[in-house]
Amino acid sequence: MQKLIWILWPSFVMAGIAEAVFFTLVDPQELYLFGEPVHMTPLATYSIGFFAFWALCAASSAFSCFLQRSAGAPRV
Amino acid sequence: MVQPAPRPESAGAKVIPIKETSLYEAQRKIYARSVSGTFANWRWAMVWITQAIFYGLCWLPWNGRQAVLFDLVERKFYIFGLVFWPQDVFYLAVLLIISALALFLFTAVAGRLFCGYACPQTVYTEIFMWVEKLFEGDRAARMKLDAAPLTGNKLARKGAKHAVWIVIGLWTGFTFVGYFTPIKTLAGSVLSWQLGPWETFWICFYGFATWGNAGFMREQVCKYMCPYARFQGVMFDPDTLIVTYDAERGEPRGARAKKADHKAAGKGDCVDCGICVQVCPTGIDIRNGLQYECIGCSACIDACDQVMDKMAYPRGLIRYSTEHALAERWGRGQILAHILRPRTLVYGAILSAIVAAAAAGLALRQPLKVDVIRDRTTLAREVEGGLVENVYRLQIMNLAEAPRRFALAVTGLPGVRIASEQIVEVAPAATQAVAVRVRVEPDAGKRGSNPIHFEVRAINHDEVFVREKASFLLP
Repeated sequence: MQKLIWILWPSFVMAGIAEAVFFTLVDPQELYLFGEPVHMTPLATYSIGFFAFWALCAASSAFSCFLQRSAGAPRV
Repeated sequence: MVQPAPRPESAGAKVIPIKETSLYEAQRKIYARSVSGTFANWRWAMVWITQAIFYGLCWLPWNGRQAVLFDLVERKFYIFGLVFWPQDVFYLAVLLIISALALFLFTAVAGRLFCGYACPQTVYTEIFMWVEKLFEGDRAARMKLDAAPLTGNKLARKGAKHAVWIVIGLWTGFTFVGYFTPIKTLAGSVLSWQLGPWETFWICFYGFATWGNAGFMREQVCKYMCPYARFQGVMFDPDTLIVTYDAERGEPRGARAKKADHKAAGKGDCVDCGICVQVCPTGIDIRNGLQYECIGCSACIDACDQVMDKMAYPRGLIRYSTEHALAERWGRGQILAHILRPRTLVYGAILSAIVAAAAAGLALRQPLKVDVIRDRTTLAREVEGGLVENVYRLQIMNLAEAPRRFALAVTGLPGVRIASEQIVEVAPAATQAVAVRVRVEPDAGKRGSNPIHFEVRAINHDEVFVREKASFLLP
């Protein structure tokens, strides 16, 4: 559980920052997805964008957690 | 930071041992006892003020719209009379810097004032604990109820508590979303059961977070999740006001009869009742010195003062004081005099300078922005009369909340003029894109790129004027 919080909480904060920076610079109506303009409502784009950022940041946190286990240490 | 060494517990002490535990591992549940007094009143005042602003501000109308609205769909932030566009992100950065500096300043002066009085985590925990006390009673009753087997009465009490918690959580979530979607429209959608899927999701998400954070995680958020709790120590110095136990006066602690002459018996003023520990929302014992878990809520000060009153001892065995003041036995005047010291003066000076600069920037901000983009399909072409024409796309952003007409002009080359429409009408707080054809005699400048300037001026508002640079290509 502690690991899960370590992974999900910092990534949540970072996703919030990434979301704010990204969508300040980019209008969701001007985004292209697989070569097609995004047809979703702006609210949906913002929300999905947030979760995509969260997932990416969580992956990074998980990677860090994984690397923290030293190679010789017993598996937890 | 110098901390008094933890003292071994005195015989017969009812002090609950401090146990360092990890998040969501075996955790001693904290049953904070409710407290009243000066600082409790301050905390409640801050609950009322912050929540009146949070729950109320979104309902305030202004210029026929919501006064404070972060309209994500239209990509415009409305704050009273001001309208911010994505281009104004600079002000957001400045706001963050001001907040951070203010936090540094408050922390240097009086420790975790924000944590103790204004942090949403503290404020909602306070509200949720009040509800909890309403249905389950104070500390002793709650401990008894939790230990008791599940009965109809227990179920009813717990159920009612959670029902109220969930209502508060959902209302908080609704209010939060109401800052991003106009709240009156949102309320209409809720009442007619036509709420969009994402709005529903975010209301529930934020409501769930409130319920979880204020109902269950409480002090653990401060202890394990909050980054500020970890680094606030570097902003402290020996002159920072912190909640302190006067060990010199209190020790050796111990129980005694009210009328006994404790000084003759070699005892200090601390009667070791343990109430300061019972009221602590993070479950620490302030008598062990300053600890990073202490959120500076001062509940222990109120609790101890009440005990001191009962014992007819002077108040302030636990009080706001500074490391220097304790060591040098300073009075209130000397403590206050030390608030002004290089660290606070520097923080204060930087903060004032940035606030002044931001305010000046906002006051002088032109309610008009213009972006000039060269038409990339035709660089330069020859038109009738042997003139050379370049085409531009002007994005005219009217930041004012009234429709405005703008006059376009161009300068920079002899005889340069606009051959297309020179008056543009833009709706309130809207953007209008116009194609502008600029013509000049072929020998008016050098071959290649020549600097020119577009001048956009609001008609009847001469002070609203923007000059944007562009380049004119001559073949």
